[in-house]
Amino acid sequence: MEVTILVHATDESFKILEDARERARQVLDTAARLTSETQSVHRKRVEEIFKGARQTKAEVLKFVAAFLIMFGFWLLLSGHYDLFHISLGVLCCGLVSHSSQDLLFANPRAGDMRVIVKRFFTYVPWLIYQIAISNLHVARLALSPSMPIDPEIITFKTKLESDISMVTLANSITLTPGTITIDVKDGVYYVHAVSKKTAEDLMTGEMEDKVAHIFMEADHVYVQDVLDMSPIFGALRKI
Amino acid sequence: MTEQSDDVIVKTLSRLLIPFMQIYALYVIAHGHYSPGGGFQGGVILGASIILLVITYGLDNTLRRMTERLNTILCSAGVFIYGGIGLLCLILGGNYLDYAELDQILHVGVAQARSLGILGVEVGVGLAVMAVMISIFFDISTGGLPSEKIEGLKD
Repeated sequence: MEVTILVHATDESFKILEDARERARQVLDTAARLTSETQSVHRKRVEEIFKGARQTKAEVLKFVAAFLIMFGFWLLLSGHYDLFHISLGVLCCGLVSHSSQDLLFANPRAGDMRVIVKRFFTYVPWLIYQIAISNLHVARLALSPSMPIDPEIITFKTKLESDISMVTLANSITLTPGTITIDVKDGVYYVHAVSKKTAEDLMTGEMEDKVAHIFMEADHVYVQDVLDMSPIFGALRKI
Repeated sequence: MTEQSDDVIVKTLSRLLIPFMQIYALYVIAHGHYSPGGGFQGGVILGASIILLVITYGLDNTLRRMTERLNTILCSAGVFIYGGIGLLCLILGGNYLDYAELDQILHVGVAQARSLGILGVEVGVGLAVMAVMISIFFDISTGGLPSEKIEGLKD
């Protein structure tokens, strides 16, 4: 009888110990979970603050850039440089930059705007030279009695990425006599070329390379940009 | 329904052109008392910039930027500015739209008051013309139904 009571008591005490251990484990688990949750919430909040700050900075920069461009255009148009008209201009440019800055800078890339503008203005003389050469070629085609034309439609897949660079290339092709961009669909150019020579000139891809170089795309992203953008590397290159 | 254009050239160039069109329209309105142009012309150019947006980026994207509600408010505000300035001249003792009477509250001299009055009226006319142009185009492209209903049908 006493033995059974003893066994029973031992069983009971074991059960109580088990319960206590289980409860302790639960408490510890809850504590750990709460800690990790607080940490993740905290980290998320810090990240949001950082991301928000970065976004706000980017938006302010976009607004200022759009405002400056618009105000330059306004001053070019206006011609009345008194206080009244200038303040009207500031008001109007503020309104338009606020409503249309996302149109003007729809897909900003991680490139330096000054470098892009500089390269664009070195690209324009080259384009004019190309136009002059093709002009002579097309004039010879038109003037020769046998008319040695060979019209064809060529297609090629471009390596350009952004819409603005694709448009620059398409319009450069159209501006060059002898070739016309018919369509650009999903990065494929459909170009009408009037003779073999103009088609071959286009297929060498020199123009595409130059455009990619302006907008720092495709294989022009790394080496050339680092050289152009950081003065240290520029100095190294001179040595 | 006017859908989004799939031509990258048209879309990009109109995207870059629209802010300059809007600045030009505001320039035409703001310099209407010095040079040719004014409320009607500037308002039509402003309306055309939004219509270009509808043609190239589609009605849905445009309605996110320029809702029909905002458009109606601008339309009414334009008419209200025009009529308000006219009535203000009437209240101040002159004829309807007799800007010289505005001198009594602006204190800037009769000639300057006339100039400012004309500018105010032109801003009103510009807003009203722009909103009516956009409203007509919205009506044509939705078939006369309110835009909310069209979007409800699409979902």
